[in-house]
Amino acid sequence: MSSAGVDAILYRDSFSPTSVTGDASAQSSFALQQQTASSARVSAAHTGPRRTPRKSLIVVLPENHVVSPDLVSDSVSTEADGEVIDVILACAGPPLSIGTLQRRVRDLQVLLAPAGTSSEDLRELAMSQAPGDIVTLLTGRPVSV
Amino acid sequence: MSRSLPLSVIVYARNSSATLGAVLGAIRASDLPRESYEIIVVDDSSADSSVVIAARHADTVVKLSGKGSGPAYSRNRGVELARGQVVAFVDPDVVVQRDTLTRMLAILADHPDVDAVSASRDDNSGARNFVSQYWNLLLRFGEQRYAGRCAQFAPGCGAVRRRTFLSAGMYDEWRFATACLEGVELGERLLGAGSSVLLNSELNVTHLKEWDLGQVCQEVWRRSNLLARSLGYSRISVLAPSDVVFTLGRTLVTAAAVLVTLMLAAAFVPPPRIGAEAALALLVLLVTNLQVHRYYAKARGIGFAAMSAPIHVLIQGVAAAALCTGWSLRHLMGDVSPDATTQAYSEVGLEIWPPIPRRFR
Repeated sequence: MSSAGVDAILYRDSFSPTSVTGDASAQSSFALQQQTASSARVSAAHTGPRRTPRKSLIVVLPENHVVSPDLVSDSVSTEADGEVIDVILACAGPPLSIGTLQRRVRDLQVLLAPAGTSSEDLRELAMSQAPGDIVTLLTGRPVSV
Repeated sequence: MSRSLPLSVIVYARNSSATLGAVLGAIRASDLPRESYEIIVVDDSSADSSVVIAARHADTVVKLSGKGSGPAYSRNRGVELARGQVVAFVDPDVVVQRDTLTRMLAILADHPDVDAVSASRDDNSGARNFVSQYWNLLLRFGEQRYAGRCAQFAPGCGAVRRRTFLSAGMYDEWRFATACLEGVELGERLLGAGSSVLLNSELNVTHLKEWDLGQVCQEVWRRSNLLARSLGYSRISVLAPSDVVFTLGRTLVTAAAVLVTLMLAAAFVPPPRIGAEAALALLVLLVTNLQVHRYYAKARGIGFAAMSAPIHVLIQGVAAAALCTGWSLRHLMGDVSPDATTQAYSEVGLEIWPPIPRRFR
């Protein structure tokens, strides 16, 4: 594991939950709820053998990158195939705009790493958090100037 | 299924953290446009950091649980998710060159009659120790001699049309729980279905795995044993490189030649004859394996060829013993099959993730 991954985990530990932007307390509360719900789902999923694989989608946003909410929604609907899919957004620094994405994707989990963290390190960090048996990774595109 | 792509690259990984980063990095450095292919890594219950290394480069990572299901099973799970019209399999210790995948796609595009194409290993093993060099060169020797249309679909780096692969029944995950000759079996099945399989000696890849003598002997044992027990010796021996699958032609002929020479020496050479017999035996061994020793000498020099001679004798002995054992087991116990629990689950059609290995035939 790279040192960036460790940095990001420390960052999470120091500042608590995995959410960003806007009203800090509200967002923290939101993120905690998502985490709790996710944990409950993980526990439920692990109580016995599953018939189908659990799926996760990781969206990676390095600094000055954005992702189209439509793209994520499409990926979720394609991958989910009628089942619950865990969506993890891994960002280097505060993401530019994820409001629409948060509204569209239920249970969006946001991992915030220090600004400047590379795409590869974000992927590595997010993978270590992804509970899915099948994990799809998407990377955002650079912000056009 | 979302939109299709020209190519899906499927990498099987099991405790491959030492080489996986370099392998995936080389794929990413291919001269193919990034949007024209996807990378799917199927992790077969690794205990190391293979999964997170895979995440750095892959588009999809499949995490299998359990005690390890083998490359055939894992690659099949990757193909089930693949969007590519062509699927390429790359082993977690194989580094492709910048144009390997592009050229494979070009061959399949330019030759509609070819359904699968494999790359040959280059003469440089990524590991520098002697045994790795010896083993890499031996397999390269076989691949070079038998390049062209044969049953060798090299899983180290091979590409196949997805629909052909599916219609052939995919890899045989029922019998091949270890990384051993599953590509030869698939190649033989593709040939039998009327497809054409090309082993291209001009497409080269580098194998990074470091071998020691014990591992080489184990591998030779597995290949020879499986060849005799499961694949059908007479069928496969004419369809695949004999230096890759290790046939009797490469083992018993040598042993018989040595034996005859020693008997003649005993009859005609006056005592004390130990030194003369040993020299004659060595000479016969060298002559019967002249081509491979000449190849070693050409590639690495006379010293390397001389040092490889005793190892070559050893693995020929291992191969001969394994072929006899495999033949006996085939007649005593039948073909290779999974454990009883897996067979029972398969019988009742249990649906579970990861799925029970499928019996295709």
